Amino acid sequence: MTKKFWIGLIIILFIALMGVSYQKFLKNPHCAYDGSPVTPIYEIDIVLKEKSTKKFCSIYCASRWFKNNVTLIDHVVVTDEIRGNKIDSYMAYFVESELITNETNDNRIHVFQQRQDAITHAEKFHGTMTDDPFSLDE
Amino acid sequence: MIVNIYTLIMLFVAIFSLSLGGFLFLSTIRTLLSFKTTVPLEDKSKFERKGYLVFLLACVTLSVRMIVWPWFYFMLQSFVSEIPGAMCMFGVTQIFPSTVTFLQIIKPISFFIMGGWLLCYYIDKSTPTAPLARKNLLFLLIVCGVLLADGIGDIYYVIRMKPLMSVSCCATFFDVPMRPSAMIPQAVFGRNFQKILFIVYYVTNILLIALLFTSMSKKWVSVTSLPRKIVLYSQYAIGIINIPVVIYTFIENIAPRLMQLPYHHCIYCFMGNGMVPDAPIMLGLFVIGTFAIGWMGIIRLLCKNGEARLITERLLLKVNNVSVFCFLASIIMITIHLILI
Repeated sequence: MTKKFWIGLIIILFIALMGVSYQKFLKNPHCAYDGSPVTPIYEIDIVLKEKSTKKFCSIYCASRWFKNNVTLIDHVVVTDEIRGNKIDSYMAYFVESELITNETNDNRIHVFQQRQDAITHAEKFHGTMTDDPFSLDE
Repeated sequence: MIVNIYTLIMLFVAIFSLSLGGFLFLSTIRTLLSFKTTVPLEDKSKFERKGYLVFLLACVTLSVRMIVWPWFYFMLQSFVSEIPGAMCMFGVTQIFPSTVTFLQIIKPISFFIMGGWLLCYYIDKSTPTAPLARKNLLFLLIVCGVLLADGIGDIYYVIRMKPLMSVSCCATFFDVPMRPSAMIPQAVFGRNFQKILFIVYYVTNILLIALLFTSMSKKWVSVTSLPRKIVLYSQYAIGIINIPVVIYTFIENIAPRLMQLPYHHCIYCFMGNGMVPDAPIMLGLFVIGTFAIGWMGIIRLLCKNGEARLITERLLLKVNNVSVFCFLASIIMITIHLILI
């Protein structure tokens, strides 16, 4: 075992610790399903029973994660596409239209706080109203 | 063509190495045709100078060419923002998929054989009478062939690359239940494959490190021929088995855990999206460690010469040390991340 060998290993150890610290303390929020950056206007927050929150970039990612973890979830907060308000998913209106919010996963489901906004969007982009993808059946 | 600093450098290096490679190929053939084991004294200086020039040219060209492999991935990453729908390098690979696949296969091959040639040349250069010159020239011909194919592929890809179409997200390929990275290990290890794969990953790597440590020890010199051969062949066999094991473990276990995205298995996101900043180092160390085992095989195969024996043994020890270090460092980095994340 040479001195160089041990120095190299110490450097590697240091790099690994730096990498972990970056991930823990410095990283910006990314989608908890596919890791892409979260656009504030399409942000979905899933609040877990143990009070932590998972952020998602689109309804597509959030609903896929939701299906796998229904038992852990307390409630889901979605963002109104018009005003950017955060609302509980059971209060929101969902429209599936031809307009894509996220080209990477082809998400076409849009969220609105006001019923009128949802209807206008559906008419404009040939969409239909859909059910809340995050309904927690008791 | 998408013009940015990455494509310009790639194109420059490809044209530069292609022209030098072409010249090198012709010079090598000419040198081989005029090769004589004994040279008259009056021609010796001229012959040596010519041979020296060919080898120097080869060293420069191959060293430049070897850097192109990581650079290729930097370039792919730079295309992500240009291509509609691309979230990571996977999206970029959906445009001209056959060319990208070809480049992704030929680049590691070219890196491996170029590294092997440079090591063989180092042994030959360190020996006063250059006993391996003819073998090195023949090997150089193969290396030049790969270099030319790689260079032509780079130019073709860079020039034709255009953000032509919208591509799909990596999740539609890597995260579906029927993905190949899950189906193959599942066929081998059964339903609980992820756990078993993880155990196999640690077992093969630790075994490989232990075998490499064996040939590092001072007692190794006195070991008789048969156990020596068993250890060496075991190194090669486990080194080869370790390649798919590491790839599948990375895709199925390590990448999702380290990215903190338990349902996302994309190796490109892991490598290039900056979520795990030291991921390229982990993968790079594994690649160098594995290649070093192959390089030792090439050296043992091509540099069998009484005169070069001592230098060969010394170099083998050094390459062996590099391999041990790389495997150990890679496994340490991954373990630290898994524990602390």
